[in-house]
Amino acid sequence: MDDDLPTDFQVIVVGTGMVESIVAAACSRIHKNVLHLDSSDHYGGLWASYNFDGLQKFIKEVTSDPKKQVQVYNLIEQWYIEKESPPEEEKKEGEAEDGKTEPPKKIWSQANFASEYRKFNIDMTPKLLFSRGPLVELLISSNIARYAEFRCVTRVLTWLNDRLMPVPCSRADVFATEAVSIVEKRMLMKMLTSIVGYNEEEMDNEFKDWNDKTFKEYLTHKGLTPNLIHYVLFAIAGGTEDMPCLDGVKECKKFLMSLGRYGNTPFLWPMYGSGELPQCFCRLCAVFGGVYCLNRPIDTVATKTVDEGKTVVVIESKSKTLNCDHLVIGINECPKDLVSPEPAETCDISKAVFITNGTIMKSEKEPLTLLRFPPLIEGGGAVTVLEVGPATGSCPKGLFVVYFITNKVTDAETDLKPYAEKIFDMSGGDQTVESEKPKCLWSLFYNVKDTSAAVESAVPCVHVCSGPDAGLDFDRAVHQAEQIFKKICPGEEFLPRAPDPEEIVFEDDVTHGPEFEREQEDEADGDTSKE
Amino acid sequence: MHGRVKVRTTEEEKLRKEKERQEKLKVFKNVMQTIHHKRQQHEYDKELLELTGKVLASNPDIYTLWNIRREILEQIRKNNCDEEQLSKLFNDELNVTEYCLKINPKSYCAWHQREWVLTTRSDPDWKKELDLCNKYLKLDERNFHTWDYRRFVVSQCKPPLQDEFDFTTEKLLDNFSNYSAWHYRSKMLLQLYPDVEGGRPIQDKHHKHELKLVQNAAFTDPDDTSAWFYQRWLLGAVKTVTSLVVCTVTQIKTTVAFSKQVSHNYVQSKTRLFFDNVAINGDWISCNGNDHDCLWILKHNVTINDDIDVKVEYKDEYEESHVIKCLKYKPFTYIGKSDICFQNKYSQPVIEELNEQLEACRQLLLLEPDNKWTLLTTTVFLHCINAKLYHKEAMVNLQILKNLDEQRAGYYNDLISKWNIENQLPLDYEHKNLVFRPTFSDKLTSLPHLQYYNFCEIIDLSDQYLSSNILPSLKYLQHCKILILRNNKLHTLKGFPNIELEKLDIQGNEDISAEELENFTKNHNFIIMFN
Repeated sequence: MDDDLPTDFQVIVVGTGMVESIVAAACSRIHKNVLHLDSSDHYGGLWASYNFDGLQKFIKEVTSDPKKQVQVYNLIEQWYIEKESPPEEEKKEGEAEDGKTEPPKKIWSQANFASEYRKFNIDMTPKLLFSRGPLVELLISSNIARYAEFRCVTRVLTWLNDRLMPVPCSRADVFATEAVSIVEKRMLMKMLTSIVGYNEEEMDNEFKDWNDKTFKEYLTHKGLTPNLIHYVLFAIAGGTEDMPCLDGVKECKKFLMSLGRYGNTPFLWPMYGSGELPQCFCRLCAVFGGVYCLNRPIDTVATKTVDEGKTVVVIESKSKTLNCDHLVIGINECPKDLVSPEPAETCDISKAVFITNGTIMKSEKEPLTLLRFPPLIEGGGAVTVLEVGPATGSCPKGLFVVYFITNKVTDAETDLKPYAEKIFDMSGGDQTVESEKPKCLWSLFYNVKDTSAAVESAVPCVHVCSGPDAGLDFDRAVHQAEQIFKKICPGEEFLPRAPDPEEIVFEDDVTHGPEFEREQEDEADGDTSKE
Repeated sequence: MHGRVKVRTTEEEKLRKEKERQEKLKVFKNVMQTIHHKRQQHEYDKELLELTGKVLASNPDIYTLWNIRREILEQIRKNNCDEEQLSKLFNDELNVTEYCLKINPKSYCAWHQREWVLTTRSDPDWKKELDLCNKYLKLDERNFHTWDYRRFVVSQCKPPLQDEFDFTTEKLLDNFSNYSAWHYRSKMLLQLYPDVEGGRPIQDKHHKHELKLVQNAAFTDPDDTSAWFYQRWLLGAVKTVTSLVVCTVTQIKTTVAFSKQVSHNYVQSKTRLFFDNVAINGDWISCNGNDHDCLWILKHNVTINDDIDVKVEYKDEYEESHVIKCLKYKPFTYIGKSDICFQNKYSQPVIEELNEQLEACRQLLLLEPDNKWTLLTTTVFLHCINAKLYHKEAMVNLQILKNLDEQRAGYYNDLISKWNIENQLPLDYEHKNLVFRPTFSDKLTSLPHLQYYNFCEIIDLSDQYLSSNILPSLKYLQHCKILILRNNKLHTLKGFPNIELEKLDIQGNEDISAEELENFTKNHNFIIMFN
């Protein structure tokens, strides 16, 4: 079978993470000859989504293979429910027909999770898209959007005065909210409008004297009440107390500019998880002739100079030699000696995933939530929380998947558990008891090495792609992919629009004969008139 | 090579589109010809229905074709009594309109056709129509065609008004920049919550609630005018009673003036004049010769003696009787004035709400003193809460507004004139004086409530900013002998009414041409002073 694989390519991409996949698609789109490999049996690498079974395998792999623990470590999985469901009590027929009383809450067991494993899509790198952010624009302009489906994030929450509060972020929200007085409404809207008007290039802008001050100082100076400052600083800008003013303004502007395009918040969430997105780019790559090969680790990478001083990258993989002009490789698949210098010690990422039996804050329709926790302890980092439900294809009906992300301070559990306890009931008690907080049924804490810093390769023609960052969106990945593409194909367009099926003609469709003759005549006519 | 992807170039695409267009045009011309031919031959058959439907499907705005379709349907209905078949035909027609509305949701004729079908057929399904409105308003909550159609449907199927009211709430929460929704809401409000006991248009509780709601909208986005319009409407929703404000009896003329225009029928049947307790018969004539007027002249042939007892009786629109006794101002001149008041009368709870909102406005003004909307709203609140008490403050605000919002200076000037006159009128009515002279320093730009001064013999409007468009309103000055319009901004005397003066002073109106003055003096036999 291996013999079928050609050995010479213009571009070989190793790893199917976000950056690698975008580069692969971009190269293939302009008709470069692309081979795309991944050492695992699935797409996405650290950017993947797993069903519950796949996730169990992943956990087992990490805990048993010390090599894997370079990327993912401190992994702690915990169940809060019984192994098996208690035998169901037989219902009396009369009860069942009584439509008015709500059906009793389902009691979940580990066995239920196992039997419904295919209904889970759990992300290793959950991220949102800004409605007017670079990824959305790229998906539209390249026409790759048709391979994906999205859901609007329905609400943005924050933690204020020891409880969850919806953040009024759109005009409609500000109008409807009862949490702020009308004077505050006017002030909030005025502040937001002024931020939208911020133009970096304009020298004499509103914020010119705030370069060395914090965003909080600016908001306080503008007379915003403490509640409003909380909304703008923590929830809209996603910042902390010491966020510099201009960063705050830029983050707010990004948030505000994405409002009003698709839904009531500025965010989109990919159906079936963030892990879908690298695959969309892979699909485009394949449509334009890219060759795919999973389960294909590489052994060595070397370069050799052939005639005319041209450098070729030579890869040994499963005792086969592959040659290419450019190698694009994910940092986690990359042999150490290719990376130079060794990336500096960075702040790693603490992550957690929870599966609960209800949403963190009741709402009429199934919510899709972004919650931004301000630091609970002074000097700590802010925590980003994403709650997704069955409508996104992330879990079976009746459950919610909740992701926590923050910069690592101690370890994932120590960093995130205090936040989780604020919004979940983690006692493992009776699932049927109605309470304010949803019950946590399962949790997973883990740390991920931050490999998101841009890395230079020691070898020309080898391009190293960063791993996932702790940020909310995909902007850095898109930006890096474009930079790499420009190095490989200088002067070429980055992902021009792919044609729709109806725009594509097959050679067989082209009409021959008389049509051709008539065109000739027309041309002849044109020529005569010119003379 | 077969089956390879080939994308049409833009040039090819353009040619292909042009060719398609030409073909379409040919087909269109043909079909239109056939349609007209068939109609001339009175071939009102299903084929014609099909042909017109085909054209409308790509261009829903050809009125003629909808008319032809109605002719066909009428014809079929006349010839064919099979209810079932007819019902099917009408259903098909509804489908055609729905298809057309998908292409152009603002097609006047498609909406009209739908209305025609629904009112023509014997078995209309109103529920389905209401659902259609919901669907279309979900797609575009501001499509006034749909709102209009909704009102038609609701007038036919009469769903619970509360549901309709709640529907407007829902739409406004989505987006409050919606004139249609606010307007519809105002109509619902009057029907759903009239204050029957208190005789007010809206129950206090709801009046308060609406004021709060609209204030929220106004402060969320002050640049959106729809909210301000609704707020003004709410402030104006008070109980108003038409009153007879002054009755004047002299040997020459007998007049009564009303606070607002009343019909001839009303004056004739509800107003009676008594001399020495003997009812005077006569015919009431509008001073402007209209069916509705604020000033009416009684034509009677009773001689007016000195020292008679004069009184007038009238019934207001609530059938309550009022008697006004006339006093002798000078020999043979009797004048009876009623207690007049221009203050809007709100209930105590509403006043409290207005005071609260005024307080919020004042707070905002401290923060942004130059905000036009805040200042105008503050001013309107002041006027509505206690016009007399806050008169000075309101006037100062209007002067500031003239500078802040130059484009509407004329509007503010007229408002200044109106509120000044309303402030002066009750005082003038307390004195036995036959002279009207503005006592305020602001210059009059208009002459509101002029009928209130119809009894005066001397009207001194010198040194104001009056322009020629006030001239027709001078018709109200039925008892005036000396009219002073010196130093105003009259540029012509066109429109000067036919009134019996002794002296007119129009000095200092430099823009009136000499020729016009000459003509004017020739045609009038009172003394005219000019320069």
